[in-house]
Amino acid sequence: MAVSKPGAGVVTTAGAPAPAEATGPISPQGAPAAAPITARRSEFLYFAFRNWKFVVGLAVVLFLFALAIFGPMLTPHEPLEFGGPTDQAPSSDYWFGTTSFGQDVFSQFVHGLRATFLVGLVGGGIAWLIGATVGFTAGYRSGWLDDVLNMITNVVLVIPTLAILIIVAAYVNVHSYATEAILVGLTSWPWAARAVRAQTFSLKTREFVDIARISGRKTRQIIASEIAPNMSSYLLMMFILLFGGAILIGASLDFLGLGPSESMSLGLMMNNAFLSSALLLGSWWWFIPPGVGIICIVGGLYVMNVGLDEIFNPKLREV
Amino acid sequence: MAHYLARKVVIYLLTFYVAVTIDWAIPRFMPGDPVEGLLSRMQAQPGSQEELTGYYTKAFGFDVPIWKQYLNFWAALFHGDLGPSVANFPTPVWELIRGALPYTLALLVPAVLLSFWAGNKVGALAARRKVLDNTALPVSYVLTATPQMWLGIVLAWVFATVLGVLPVSGAYDLSLQPTWSWEFVRSFLEHWILPFSALFLVAFGGWAIGMRNMIIYELEADYSNYLASLGAPTKLVRRYAYRNALLPQITGLALALGAVVAGAIVVEIVFSYPGLGSLTLSAIQNRDYFLIQGIFLFLIVGVLLANFIIDIAYVFIDPRTRIGMQGGA
Amino acid sequence: MTSMRITKRRTAGVLGAILALGAAAAVVFMTAGGASGAGSQTGTATALPRSQTFYMSGNQWSPNNDLNPAKNWDYITGLVGFAYETPFRYDPLKDKFTPWLASAGKWKSKSTYVMTVRKGVKWSDGKALTAKDFIFTLSTLKIPTHAQNPLWRDTGLKSVAAKGNTVVFKFGANPGYQQFDFYRYNVAIVPRHVFARFGKTDLASGNLKQPIVGTGPYLYQSGIGTQTQTVVWKKNPNWWATKALGLRVAPKYVVDIKNGTNAAALANFVSGNIDLFNNFAPKSAIRGSAKTYFSKAPYHLGANTTWLFPNTTRKPLDDKQFRRALAYSINMSQIIDKAYQGLVEKASPTGLLPIWKKWVNPSLVKKYGFSYNQAKAKSILAAAGYRDRNGDGYVENKDGSKIDLEIICPNGWSDWMTSIQIIASSAKAAGIKITPAFPEYNTLVDDRGHARYDLLLGNDRQYSNTPWTYYQYIYRLPILSNQTSMNYERYENAKAWNLTKGLDKIPSSNVKAYRSQMAKLQTMFMQDLPAIPLWYNGMWAMFNTKHWTGWPAAGSDRQFTPSTWRNYWQMTSIDMLTHLRPA
Repeated sequence: MAVSKPGAGVVTTAGAPAPAEATGPISPQGAPAAAPITARRSEFLYFAFRNWKFVVGLAVVLFLFALAIFGPMLTPHEPLEFGGPTDQAPSSDYWFGTTSFGQDVFSQFVHGLRATFLVGLVGGGIAWLIGATVGFTAGYRSGWLDDVLNMITNVVLVIPTLAILIIVAAYVNVHSYATEAILVGLTSWPWAARAVRAQTFSLKTREFVDIARISGRKTRQIIASEIAPNMSSYLLMMFILLFGGAILIGASLDFLGLGPSESMSLGLMMNNAFLSSALLLGSWWWFIPPGVGIICIVGGLYVMNVGLDEIFNPKLREV
Repeated sequence: MAHYLARKVVIYLLTFYVAVTIDWAIPRFMPGDPVEGLLSRMQAQPGSQEELTGYYTKAFGFDVPIWKQYLNFWAALFHGDLGPSVANFPTPVWELIRGALPYTLALLVPAVLLSFWAGNKVGALAARRKVLDNTALPVSYVLTATPQMWLGIVLAWVFATVLGVLPVSGAYDLSLQPTWSWEFVRSFLEHWILPFSALFLVAFGGWAIGMRNMIIYELEADYSNYLASLGAPTKLVRRYAYRNALLPQITGLALALGAVVAGAIVVEIVFSYPGLGSLTLSAIQNRDYFLIQGIFLFLIVGVLLANFIIDIAYVFIDPRTRIGMQGGA
Repeated sequence: MTSMRITKRRTAGVLGAILALGAAAAVVFMTAGGASGAGSQTGTATALPRSQTFYMSGNQWSPNNDLNPAKNWDYITGLVGFAYETPFRYDPLKDKFTPWLASAGKWKSKSTYVMTVRKGVKWSDGKALTAKDFIFTLSTLKIPTHAQNPLWRDTGLKSVAAKGNTVVFKFGANPGYQQFDFYRYNVAIVPRHVFARFGKTDLASGNLKQPIVGTGPYLYQSGIGTQTQTVVWKKNPNWWATKALGLRVAPKYVVDIKNGTNAAALANFVSGNIDLFNNFAPKSAIRGSAKTYFSKAPYHLGANTTWLFPNTTRKPLDDKQFRRALAYSINMSQIIDKAYQGLVEKASPTGLLPIWKKWVNPSLVKKYGFSYNQAKAKSILAAAGYRDRNGDGYVENKDGSKIDLEIICPNGWSDWMTSIQIIASSAKAAGIKITPAFPEYNTLVDDRGHARYDLLLGNDRQYSNTPWTYYQYIYRLPILSNQTSMNYERYENAKAWNLTKGLDKIPSSNVKAYRSQMAKLQTMFMQDLPAIPLWYNGMWAMFNTKHWTGWPAAGSDRQFTPSTWRNYWQMTSIDMLTHLRPA
């Protein structure tokens, strides 16, 4: 059940003719959830905190999250304020130095973290919702509905996000990270939908689903009560990957100057530093922090994900 | 089999149709009239505004009803005509794309294939081998979480600004013109290596992690244990595991192509590499709608085609697919 | 064991595919690279000799494939100046016309101008330059969609005719002398025997794929194509000006480099690959062997005025007192320090460029000008009836309604983005509520043209022989439904426009009348402030003194425009090349 974002790994069960996965390398969760939920939860916690990958990943992400929340209170400078000296290396006054416009890099960094988490959570969340809904429906229903959903998935997969963002940026005059997050969410779900579809496809032939079907329950109920719980760990991991992916996409858009420019994000910091030739003039303190910030968050999330995989699947634990 | 293929083809054609229609609609929904933008750039004198507006409206084909513009678009498309560039009027969009394409391919094709190959190899080696796993895995995680443009900036900073050993922009030295000469090829490679590395390293990390995780699943699968219990050498077991693990990786490759192209765009911009990425940026900056439309059309077709090929190839690579197809929906 | 063989074969297959595709990509690349160089390309297998080559960048952003001298916003760098030349050149720093392809020119009467075609000038294919080439070129301007069509439409020109080796221009009554002067150095003469085969549409807006047959100091060598990085020009050994005027361009090769991004271009300059850099660069880049026109702030010549345009169809921006208060509230020195690190200079309250200083009347500036003064801004607001009635810290309209203005500039134009933030915050201190916003460029152009904005910046007008171009930019009437290139503020003042038209009709030789007309225009401008002049945008130019010396410099005998920008070569940028020396 290795879920991982395409390009950053694989979607084990995605794509290609559906039945392949039935015999594929995975069998999500194996048997239906028989154990009581509480027992499972404490078991989960037991293994979770003995898994260094999960602990380290979570710690890094939580630390940066705390920095995003409280960081802006630590500095008297506003991210866009032009008060300071220009192009100064880190000092006790300006912890991360200043930009060539005399702005405080630390303040930009912590405000940028906020935007990054916002885009990740909201964008990843939206993509997760759409991906799961489309995937469940397509996988469970098959037939023409599956075909239509498949086509929509393909269309979204091939339509460049950039084009859509330009139009929206021009039309919706409110430039905000929430808008950007929604856009990222609306365009980054296809691989998740494919993965969920494949999982659902293999689950729906199981006995416990058949029993539910025979007992006359509605499709939505079956998905909600029989299929989804059996994929809960899968869905959790998918969210984590979508979260990380949304951050990277958002950063690329900001780097291209297509994001909002009234407030700060890590991608925009890179854009400003690059356009102002910071790498040429040696102002490393301007362009190093935003990249390191993104690597820590996204890398932390990915490592957490492997940890989770090992927690959910005992076979994978280190030998 | 034939039924399956026919079905695939129909789905892909439909996808193509819808995606291209959306692509056509994009410039029409953009605010700001391209003709007005052009007049403003020309600093047109107000006296000739009417003539110029009329002329360019006609030249861009905006003088007919929208449904007819749509039909004309498809008709032109089948003749390979993507319309004229707005900012570089009257250069055909296709000519601009054709000029940029070789550079992007020269970066993208080796980066995708080599990273896929090397990533899978390293990932497979690392799985269940403690020392290698504990070194290769963390590095791969950092790489795959790295934004390509940032890696590009850092590489440029280290190798160009600090060490001063590699050039930081363009595809070849400014004193040269593209010709077959040792000097040119060397200069080309010197300019190519950094953007290539930025793309390669990020993708490499992703494939290595994916393969490492897949192999572990495979090695824990029943067939592996069965083989091992029969006394098959570890090498053989791992080889089977590798083969099985490679299949989903190939699917991942198809899905990742869109993201790979996006990565190439930002990396090209960092290095001023004269490929499609730089062309896209200038098209965005100039609001050259037809050029944006043309590039995106090109990407859409490319990604769809690659997906289609991988889908078909799958049938031949994976025997299970053939069996599944017969009973499949 | 079969499996082993399969695996091996697959590995080999993957590797093979990589190599094959890599090779294929390389081949495709090479073919395209070769094919993109148009017709007369002579391949340069080896690098150009550095000591004889002049590298420059800063003009070319669009593909190197437009060979139409009529498209003065798009043609390749040097097409006019290196290949095609103009009848005259104009020195903006000395306000002087230099006969060029025309050896002389004179007003024979109030409405007849006669140009003498220079003798002994040859096109690069050996044919002689004649009056017929002049007549042909001027007749192409009659095409309504030709960018220089206003020569026929707006100056009162009625006809041109060849008479021996002279060209006779006949005007109606009251010719537009100032505008005509502008075309004297801006129309590039093209060879009739090459251009005659083109249709009207091509001549006005095509890219004209023709062999470049010019008269100028350089011959096209290579680089034309959609995705080429550079265009190479080679010295023309038979340039007429060497014999006629004793001028020699120093570099044997000139290489113009297409811009990718500012950062990449600057990287090339810093590493010594570029000799003349005409993009914006931070002040810290001026160090070591990098030099500028002035050795101290503002380092660069001012090339154009950046204006703050208020939408005068909206309240309260229709009130000149309010505009005046706004002008007083702007902290220009903060903009200069923070957004430009001291690389620009505050504009004169008249908005006129430094090159027109001799027309600026200091006593009028003293009387009607403005400068940063918050107290003054507040008192003007109060006197005009703008008071803060609800105690929110911002003044309200005279009728008590709220004032909430938006100032816009294109997203990504970082120096302007910084500037409008400073404008907004300093206006706030004076009690005027302004919010900055950064729409996409095309949205901004659209809104600007149709008066859907409050405040925005503009700097479209460059150096020219006459302030008429500036006053036209501000006052032009009538207002059209879409204002694409001037009077964005939609300021309707018939008196001002008539004064502007009047200025056009005064020949520069009539200094007294010209000066008095200029005084009237300045007074009216500063009293009404239909647009607020802010700073002079620099003619960005950094020189690398490692390979070439003898650069243009203030206070020397080399006061030339150091710019590769279009329309500057026929000013004095060519003189820069004739005065350079190898280091």
